Amino acid sequence: MRHRSLLLLTTVLTTGALTLTACGSRSDDGKKSGDDGSSGTGSNITLTIGVDAPLTGQNSATGLGLQYGTQIAVDDANSKKLVPGVTFKVKALDDKALPATGQQNATALVQDSNVIATVGPLNSGVAESMQQVFATANMVEISPANTNPDLTQGKDWASGKKVRPFKTYFRTATTDANQGGFAADYAYNTLKKKNVFVVDDKQAYGAGLAAIFKGKFASLGGKIAGTDHVNTGDTDYSALVTKIKQSHADMLYYGGQYDESELITKQLKAGGVNIPLMGGDGMYSDTYIKTAGKAATGDLATSVGVPVSTLPAAQNFIKAYKAKGYPGDYGTYGGYSYDAATAIINAVKTVMDANGGKLPAMNDARAKLVDAVQKTDFDGIAGHVSFDQYGDTTNKQLTVYQVKNGAWTAVKSGVYSG
Amino acid sequence: MTALLEVEDLRVAYGKIEAVKGISFSVEAGQVVTLIGTNGAGKTTTLRTLSGLLKPIGGRVTFDGKVLSRIPPHKIVSLGLAHSPEGRHIFPRLTIEQNLLLGAFLRRDSAGITRDVERAYELFPILGERRKQAAGTLSGGEQQMLAMGRALMSQPKLLMLDEPSMGLSPIMMQKIMSTIVELRSQGTTILLVEQNAQAALSLADHAHVMEIGTIKLSGTGQDLLHDEGVRKTYLGED
Amino acid sequence: MHTLPQQLANGLFLGSMYGLIAIGYTMVYGIVQLINFAHGEIFMTGAFGALTVWNCLPDGMNIWAALPLMLIGGAIVSVLIAVGAERFAYRPLRGAPRLAPLITAIGLSLALQQAIFVWYPGADNAKDFPQLGTHPYHLGSIAIQRNDIFLVAAAVVCMVGLAAFVRTSRTGRAMQATAQDPDTAQLMGIDTNRIIVIAFAIGGLFAAVAGVAFGLKYGQITYNMGFQAGLKAFTAAVLGGIGNIYGAMLGGLVLGIAEACATAYIANIPGMHQLGGQGWANVWAFVLLIVVLLVRPQGLLGERVADRA
Ligand SMILES: Nc1ncnc2c1ncn2[C@@H]1O[C@H](COP(=O)(O)OP(=O)(O)O)[C@@H](O)[C@H]1O
Ligand SMILES: [Mg+2]
Repeated sequence: MRHRSLLLLTTVLTTGALTLTACGSRSDDGKKSGDDGSSGTGSNITLTIGVDAPLTGQNSATGLGLQYGTQIAVDDANSKKLVPGVTFKVKALDDKALPATGQQNATALVQDSNVIATVGPLNSGVAESMQQVFATANMVEISPANTNPDLTQGKDWASGKKVRPFKTYFRTATTDANQGGFAADYAYNTLKKKNVFVVDDKQAYGAGLAAIFKGKFASLGGKIAGTDHVNTGDTDYSALVTKIKQSHADMLYYGGQYDESELITKQLKAGGVNIPLMGGDGMYSDTYIKTAGKAATGDLATSVGVPVSTLPAAQNFIKAYKAKGYPGDYGTYGGYSYDAATAIINAVKTVMDANGGKLPAMNDARAKLVDAVQKTDFDGIAGHVSFDQYGDTTNKQLTVYQVKNGAWTAVKSGVYSG
Repeated sequence: MTALLEVEDLRVAYGKIEAVKGISFSVEAGQVVTLIGTNGAGKTTTLRTLSGLLKPIGGRVTFDGKVLSRIPPHKIVSLGLAHSPEGRHIFPRLTIEQNLLLGAFLRRDSAGITRDVERAYELFPILGERRKQAAGTLSGGEQQMLAMGRALMSQPKLLMLDEPSMGLSPIMMQKIMSTIVELRSQGTTILLVEQNAQAALSLADHAHVMEIGTIKLSGTGQDLLHDEGVRKTYLGED
Repeated sequence: MHTLPQQLANGLFLGSMYGLIAIGYTMVYGIVQLINFAHGEIFMTGAFGALTVWNCLPDGMNIWAALPLMLIGGAIVSVLIAVGAERFAYRPLRGAPRLAPLITAIGLSLALQQAIFVWYPGADNAKDFPQLGTHPYHLGSIAIQRNDIFLVAAAVVCMVGLAAFVRTSRTGRAMQATAQDPDTAQLMGIDTNRIIVIAFAIGGLFAAVAGVAFGLKYGQITYNMGFQAGLKAFTAAVLGGIGNIYGAMLGGLVLGIAEACATAYIANIPGMHQLGGQGWANVWAFVLLIVVLLVRPQGLLGERVADRA
């Protein structure tokens, strides 16, 4: 009995603490808008675009890029009066890269009657727990960063049985099916790596990416020197490093986030295993280089799209981001966040135009927005924006980056198609 | 001359339950005073209060001219009050010698300590033979010897012994009692708590009979040994 | 290539760190029967204290020269927090039902994490920690980091020092007495409150050394590094027999080696492919704990003692 109550109390306390930390998350939305936004009277109304991303802790540098990429799109829409009579604003919630927190945030966003649609999240694992909430509320969710194919094409996509699970979910980033394959192709054909050790973090994104890489690399004729999994939050990889050393692998492919891979690459190099570590967009972040230091030199990462800094259409965006002094990395997903928010804003206009210039009641507006987003078709700052029947972007640009002189340097861009 | 220990109207409670309900007695230097009484009378509670482990709710204890209230237990020891607790409470995982040395924890005269350790071994030769052995391996009687020897190591002005004969064989009991007689003859002042009333009364200068938290009867050891009521209740005679 | 020597070395290094942290759990438990769940955070704050010292020192200072100062800085922070926790959080609850100090400890642990997270500049991401170089020495087929040498040396020095202190010093004997029977210890003239403070302080000191060793070994520290490390160290303390300082160190080493071997070899056992590797190492560590506790409920070096309560 005493033990039971002890367990109970501990659980309550822990849950309480977790909820508290969730409450403490940063939010740009301090006050409620005066207008409840549910009826378009033609006079000026305010509509909120939700953002969900990790804004503190793990992955937060990248997460903040989502928040402020969206913010700049909203600022531009407001100043250019893209939708006459509508002022947009951003409500950003922190999911701490935790699926449960993401789900709570999704619930909060759909319950806020000012929120028309949401940009986010960053992590595929978090997205899984949010999709159903948005689908039930008929609210559009556009992720600028999720790359796990399951999210749009269902669990059995690899066997060719593609089924879209949620019609409210879209993404402006391309999938790991492309990213993992693109990486395998680059490793085998360009780097001439023949014996690769594959490690993942058992999360939806990391495990998915690693499996795709492994399949493609083997089918190209490469050898898999060994495989292992790690736990997120692990710090000691010495035993793993010894295993990799023994396998005589000529490269390590890691499916996961930079929080673990920066430690792995450090311990790998310190252990005398001088082979590059390659990963996906989850480790394409300046934080990776900053934390891993010299050990990161020569490491590789694929990321979706082409470097935002090389895109002529994105130059104003970069200028604005720097001028405002926003924190976070915009390099990877900032442009896609901007385009995701713009897709929502454009769709709002479409819905209003079809309704005589007024916004329908919020429930109706959200539902109509799903169809309008599906028909998106415009040139964004990171490329052309439109969605296929699964909600995936039709823009399948990918880039391989390598750490050179302490910075990610694009070494190959291209379109991957199987 | 005032008494070495003066207890006046002492009251002690566990929560709301009063275990000692206003007792008074004194111990003069050089005397052996005994508290006897049935189980649960409040004898152990009294001793634990005197050594500071329990805080009284009323009354006054004066030891060697100092009022003991608000003095923590480890300071009371330094005043010269030693307490060999009920159930012996030797440190089982320390050696016999280490136990004895802990009895002298507050002393700094290493030569004197060494001498007193040897003296304890003279008093209880069996302890000397096993000095490097863990105390927990001793028999009950041997542990009692160790507890007494340990209490003596602080060179106390007053030695309090709580039921030293508890659970011992008749032979061991004999041995312990004769040690008390020996200590008395050396001039050690002793406050002895016993259930073995016969033995305690026969060697006590003064005796007090406790019953549910109060002192029912007081007198010299010999007086009480011959008291009708005492003989009936505590000496098992009809 | 035979990897067993290397894997044993890996486990030994990791285990030394677990052991250093485990000492704090075991000392405090041994003396006041309290599981100080905030101890992982005391370890973490020690690392941040040392990092603060490093950041205050002139740029380009030699790490070897800075190390003693960092250790002192970390130790001051850890010891102050440990002793403060005892004085202001646990002592008022002594004698209260055991649940009360346990919950206080959990609360304190979360509070310390959040405090560092919110107030330490840049602590919402991993903070860089200086290292003693990252080129390994080679001993036969074993590669050894300087940082690991520091860790093992620190563990040995701390352990030998503590053993000598407990065995031979007057305070050490008072500690043993207090652990075995606190009331009777008071009757010997021992100020048990002081002994309890010393136990917390030693735990804090060792945690700070472990915190610095962690920073050196991994080159980075985080506000939540105390959670997993604390949990492992607590496991090590229980494995070795909680209350026994040698048990804590032994438990740490056994746990570290078990994790390294589980990562390396379990997957090679036919039929166990899915259950091996780094991802399962924690699970195997707890399996080991459960097996040991089934066979020896008191832990490897623990004594079978009836619960006081
Ligand atoms: N720790 C305790 N908590 C509550 N009651 C106690 C405690 N110790 C003793 N008592 C009670 O106090 C009374 C006196 O006990 P005690 O002093 O041990 O008697 P004695 O030593 O004369 O046998 C008894 O009724 C006993 O039940
Ligand atoms: Mg008694």
